[in-house]
Amino acid sequence: MPDLLSVTFSALADPTRRAILARLTTGEATVNELAEPFEISLPAVSRHLKVLEGAGLISRGREAQWRPCKLEPDRLKAVDDWLSVYRRFWEQSFDKMAAYLEELSEGERNGRPKKKRR
Amino acid sequence: MDAQRKSVADTELLIVRTFNAPPSVVFALWSSAEHMKRWMGPKGFTCPEMAIDLRVGGHYRGMIKSADRGENWFAGVYREIVPDKRLVFTFIWDNDGPSAGLEMVVTITFEERDGKTVQTLHQAPFRTVERRDSHGGGWSEAFDKQAVYAETIAKEHAA
Repeated sequence: MPDLLSVTFSALADPTRRAILARLTTGEATVNELAEPFEISLPAVSRHLKVLEGAGLISRGREAQWRPCKLEPDRLKAVDDWLSVYRRFWEQSFDKMAAYLEELSEGERNGRPKKKRR
Repeated sequence: MDAQRKSVADTELLIVRTFNAPPSVVFALWSSAEHMKRWMGPKGFTCPEMAIDLRVGGHYRGMIKSADRGENWFAGVYREIVPDKRLVFTFIWDNDGPSAGLEMVVTITFEERDGKTVQTLHQAPFRTVERRDSHGGGWSEAFDKQAVYAETIAKEHAA
């Protein structure tokens, strides 16, 4: 059983599904409305919706024919939290990288191309 | 399409940074373990362990640590190496934690501009090889689009 975050990422790893989510940020929509901008069949769109629903990214209304789709932001929030940890990880690493580059070029100016390490 | 862009951006990471050094120097900081030990890891962390085998299919493994977060091992495999221009590798945390087991692909491009280097890091989640293969072309297509998207954003940052 893969963890929830992997399921979410798996569902997001498709441009059509990301576009569907983007559309749903503007409000609820029916399958027909969601299918409109894509050159794919209604059953194909339904399959994408099933994946999104399985990952908890969207929910669907009860009425059999209508069943409007709605964005469920909690799972996206989990993705955002996860990404923000990495954003900090890399940005702070790059701060250190910039400082280290500075150190290297100063060493060069002082005629010590390679910093001696004890 | 601002909403669409945001949705895509929300599922992956893109960090553009300009360094005051030519691409050959910035690339060297990624391709030597001794250099990487000097900067890898966020604020408050040191990187005492780093071993890399810089060739396509070669592995790397390292560890960052801090007083309150202990030792954190990470590892991956190099997928593409174009000296001074592009580096692609997988990245996975090698210990228990919320992100353990989730493999990512990190793509870094280096672009020279007026003697400086514009470094673009793109990170996207990636499932295990088995699951990726079972999905066939679907995923690689998605990944191509992400790559194009990354380039577009990089250009916007540059403009």
